[in-house]
Amino acid sequence: MLKINNLVSGYGSVQILNGANMKVDNQSIVALLGGNGTGKSTILKACSGIIRTWKGSINFNGEDIQNLPPHNIVEKGLVQVTQGKDVFPAMTVLENLRLGGFTLKSKQTLNDNIEKVFNYFPRLNERKSQLAATLSGGELQMLCIGRGLMSNPKMIMLDEPSAALAPQIVLDIFKNINKIRKDGLTVLVVEQNVRMALLLADYGYVIKDGVINVEGESKKLMYDESVKDSYLGGGGTTANV
Amino acid sequence: MFKGFKLTRKLENTLMLVFTLIFLGYISMSPDMNLESLKGVLIIGITVGIIYGLVAVGISLIYTGLDVVNFSHGEFFMLGAFTGLTVYNFLIDGELIYAIFPDAYGWVGYVIGLFFAFVIMGLFGVLIERVFLRPLTKKGGGYTVAGMGIIICGFGLSVVLLNLAYIIWNPTAHPFHADLGLPINIGGVTLPMTYLWMLVTGFTVAGALYFFLNKTKMGLGVRAVAHSKVISNLVGINVPLYISIIFGIACALAGLAGTLVGPTYQVVVYMGYIILLKAFASAVVGGFGSLPGAIVGGFTVGLFETSCAFFISGSHKDAYAFLLMIVVLLIKPTGFFGVQVKMKA
Repeated sequence: MLKINNLVSGYGSVQILNGANMKVDNQSIVALLGGNGTGKSTILKACSGIIRTWKGSINFNGEDIQNLPPHNIVEKGLVQVTQGKDVFPAMTVLENLRLGGFTLKSKQTLNDNIEKVFNYFPRLNERKSQLAATLSGGELQMLCIGRGLMSNPKMIMLDEPSAALAPQIVLDIFKNINKIRKDGLTVLVVEQNVRMALLLADYGYVIKDGVINVEGESKKLMYDESVKDSYLGGGGTTANV
Repeated sequence: MFKGFKLTRKLENTLMLVFTLIFLGYISMSPDMNLESLKGVLIIGITVGIIYGLVAVGISLIYTGLDVVNFSHGEFFMLGAFTGLTVYNFLIDGELIYAIFPDAYGWVGYVIGLFFAFVIMGLFGVLIERVFLRPLTKKGGGYTVAGMGIIICGFGLSVVLLNLAYIIWNPTAHPFHADLGLPINIGGVTLPMTYLWMLVTGFTVAGALYFFLNKTKMGLGVRAVAHSKVISNLVGINVPLYISIIFGIACALAGLAGTLVGPTYQVVVYMGYIILLKAFASAVVGGFGSLPGAIVGGFTVGLFETSCAFFISGSHKDAYAFLLMIVVLLIKPTGFFGVQVKMKA
């Protein structure tokens, strides 16, 4: 579904990605792991067209999408879900969701999709006419994922859905991500919470210094020494795991 | 620290109230004070205020959407007035309109003039944004980063547009004889029809803008782009297009305001400069970047200015708007509506 070949990109003149290769199969959950500043989010931003691809290609559903305008990429069915803080705080939950379906042409589909999101996250239904600024951290993350689902995407890319959330809420959100996959979507998760992400995913990639360092079945990766290496610089305690 | 913050907010409001009371007390001691003049000042103040409000809304809209203060906004106001005047003269003095509607009134030409001022200034604004501002932002890394350069370019653009108007319409004042009928009497105040047109059109357009922003899909997109360009990109909004739309709407509002003001005063090439500063004062008083704030700020500045000019002294009329701005900046720097909705924690 998504194939990233030798991707080179960065911000301004600072190169972050030094030729990353990745593949996400149809209807799978793939985890992209790595420490701070290794280029996880940069890959997502290049895929969704927010930053330019310098070299290499990004292939989605058989089409090259690198350097397309971001709204065209959303129309093709590839949606990036940012961290929970990135909502429109001065708008209601319902308006935030409507914005997620901005590319939809028919009003009927929009309303159907809102219902669909409320099925995944009933909490949002309770809060639908509240301003997004009044939501809790977990609800914000639900709103972000819900907004991403609004445009009928084929694949969603989640940027750290567990960041700064209580374990119980993380579990709830991850259950929902699994449910979303079962309903036919492909999911790419960028995570710092390695254990949770590998429990959820089928396949994992570990990124280090802008290239994919280790990849493999998530069950294998969970016991891989080099995964620990990527996070801790070798040895030490198992923080983050 | 949080408690201290709350206290200052309360203090701010109290001080504003004290200032208002002192001001009202002062003008009530004026020898000109009576019910008749008060009614007149109220109506004229609101009328002038809605014009300031319309221009200030444009400035606030561009500020939220493009993260830049458009210092050439007054020139769009001036060009709008000239557009309206030219269309009106072409239709009425050229007697073109009588060829189509034999018994048309003057206001038909005026409405067409307003419409053309709105549309042409809107398209002109889009053109200016696309051709001149957009390439600059590419060099500077986008609207958010380019800031200072764009502000200087705004001043430059203002000079260029001013001189363009010099060449086309020469520096003399053009009277705008809109044939709108006899003055009418509202509650004992004789009001020229031009003022009534300002009031009615101003409120209608402000209402239409509110409806557009809050009830339509495109308005939702405009609000989204105004808040964050990155998130708007991610939900599939064509952000460059929407930035043009924002600039176009703001310029269209300024052009409309220009044609509304035209018949009351005269149409001159430097009329844009003072309205820019007063609209800027209105936007600051209402809370910079807030659209309801811009309208309310317009009313406040309009009422304050008119009452000061009438009850205190008419010879310093243009200074009062800035006096109010300074007072508001001293006492309540966020303006009336300048409180942004913040994220929890």
